[in-house]
Amino acid sequence: MNPIDLRYHKEHSWVKPEGNRVVMGITDFAQGELGDIVYIDLSETDAELEANGEFSEIESTKRTYSIISPVTGTIVKVNEDLADTPELINEDPYEKGWIAVIELTNPSELDSMMDSDEYEKFLASKGK
Amino acid sequence: MMRLGIIGAGPGGYVAALKAARLGAHVTIIEDTEVGGTCLNRGCIPTKALLACTEAYSRARELDKFGVDLAGAVTPNLAKMQDRKDRIVQTQVKGIRGLFKSWGIALMEGRGRLISSHTIEATKKDGSVEKIDCDAIIIATGSRPALLPGFPFDGKTVLTSDDTLSMTEIPTSMIIVGAGVIGCEWACIFRELGTEVTMLELMPRAVVTEDEEVSDLLAREFKKKKIKLMTSVKVEKVEFTEAGVRATLGDGKTIDAQKLLVSVGRALNTEGLGLEEQGIARGPRGQITVDDKMQTNVPGVYAVGDVTGGMMLAHVASEQGTVAALNACGHEASMDYASVPAAVFTSPEIASVGLREHQAKERGIKYRTGKVEFRALSKAHAMGEIAGFIKLIAEHDTDKLLGAHIIGPHASDLVHEAALAMRRGLTINDLEQTIHAHPTLSEGMREAAEDVHGRGTHCPKT
Repeated sequence: MNPIDLRYHKEHSWVKPEGNRVVMGITDFAQGELGDIVYIDLSETDAELEANGEFSEIESTKRTYSIISPVTGTIVKVNEDLADTPELINEDPYEKGWIAVIELTNPSELDSMMDSDEYEKFLASKGK
Repeated sequence: MMRLGIIGAGPGGYVAALKAARLGAHVTIIEDTEVGGTCLNRGCIPTKALLACTEAYSRARELDKFGVDLAGAVTPNLAKMQDRKDRIVQTQVKGIRGLFKSWGIALMEGRGRLISSHTIEATKKDGSVEKIDCDAIIIATGSRPALLPGFPFDGKTVLTSDDTLSMTEIPTSMIIVGAGVIGCEWACIFRELGTEVTMLELMPRAVVTEDEEVSDLLAREFKKKKIKLMTSVKVEKVEFTEAGVRATLGDGKTIDAQKLLVSVGRALNTEGLGLEEQGIARGPRGQITVDDKMQTNVPGVYAVGDVTGGMMLAHVASEQGTVAALNACGHEASMDYASVPAAVFTSPEIASVGLREHQAKERGIKYRTGKVEFRALSKAHAMGEIAGFIKLIAEHDTDKLLGAHIIGPHASDLVHEAALAMRRGLTINDLEQTIHAHPTLSEGMREAAEDVHGRGTHCPKT
């Protein structure tokens, strides 16, 4: 089940608020859809992000996929482990498979994101 | 017998010579370096020979992935690779010289200059001078690497693509100025050999002549290989350092490396040909102006290949050489540039024909696209080469194929299905209707065609 302490974005990413920052990753649903992840294009720290804009490309054996950024902000840290073991995203999408830590420009964006119940209903409504 | 004089025996000149000889002309061809020109001696062939070596090395480093156990180290030997390349080039050179002999084409080694619209003055390598009277002349002198003013070229530390072909030691690090076709091909070769490569490109993306999505994917693949690609940067200064060379960018940032390769384009070989004296019209870049029959403004004088600017590709030069030879020999022929394929031998390989998507947009054409990733093809998985895609652009109302863009394994071969379709004005439906053998990469052409109509067989329901 999707962790209850996280907020969810409609493009299947999650954020964990930590003060004015969030840890971000993709959901269990997303990693399942992608299949075996073989590569993620890790952004540079200090990269600027726009909510609903492109975050980075992720590649699985099935397809490549553009991860959409859930928030507006600046990247302060990326999960370097993913360079050698991108499959951590498949194995543990909410913990070891975290992707980036983002400093928020607009913390109120979190309010319009879904909680785990809403996200589950959202997935169900899409017949997934 | 019609007498044809050709200056330059590269892919433009030597093909013109063979075509004209076949039509019964008496051909004299003058070459100041070696038959086969840039393509055979300093470009296409030598780089592809080296590429095969680096691919072998790359494969050798991942044998474990393919279930092969290797006991011992795998080491690239650039000197040996260059030797192999030299032997391959020599064989091809002999082949062309043999063809000339077979067709009775007179090969003169030296430089040629027009002293009238029907006479070439040839200065041979031994210093002797000979006048060649012609009924028609074809200028096919080609191009050479463009040098940037202020760059201290020495052929050892600051190099052009001519110099890299004689390197025998693998550099530890290299700056490549210019991320066009030539720069990117060399970046892949050197990176594979273990060199730390930094690319500096003025434009906002690499291989700017290709479709934008192709540039994006190449940039990502370069990132995976740890080739550092910096776009929208200008090199203000290059100076020698103790370790090699230092490049200073417009923002003051400096980059150090052992070697620096300049690949910013080609300069046209128009000097010493008597062009001004004969009143041969030139374009803004100095290129010899020609019509679609390859005629210059001076009757009986033709020009083909890189020296005319345009699409600087060997196969375009050869096609132009053919057209010029046919016209010179009294037959009708003209150039059609509508479906000229082009390939970039990077890793992954790139090939394209027709409109890029941004060109379709700029021209206000109503179009549709279809795309398939190589990782959707079982053959690509079996081969272990899944990076890349095939993208087709079709005219919305007529369904005609307008462009094809491939980045991935065997792109340079796959593109020809699209080139043929475009030349014949075929539609996406025609591609869809054609059975493609399984398991092949060509099946991707069919899947991409299906995707144009939103009905890719192997696409999940959305």
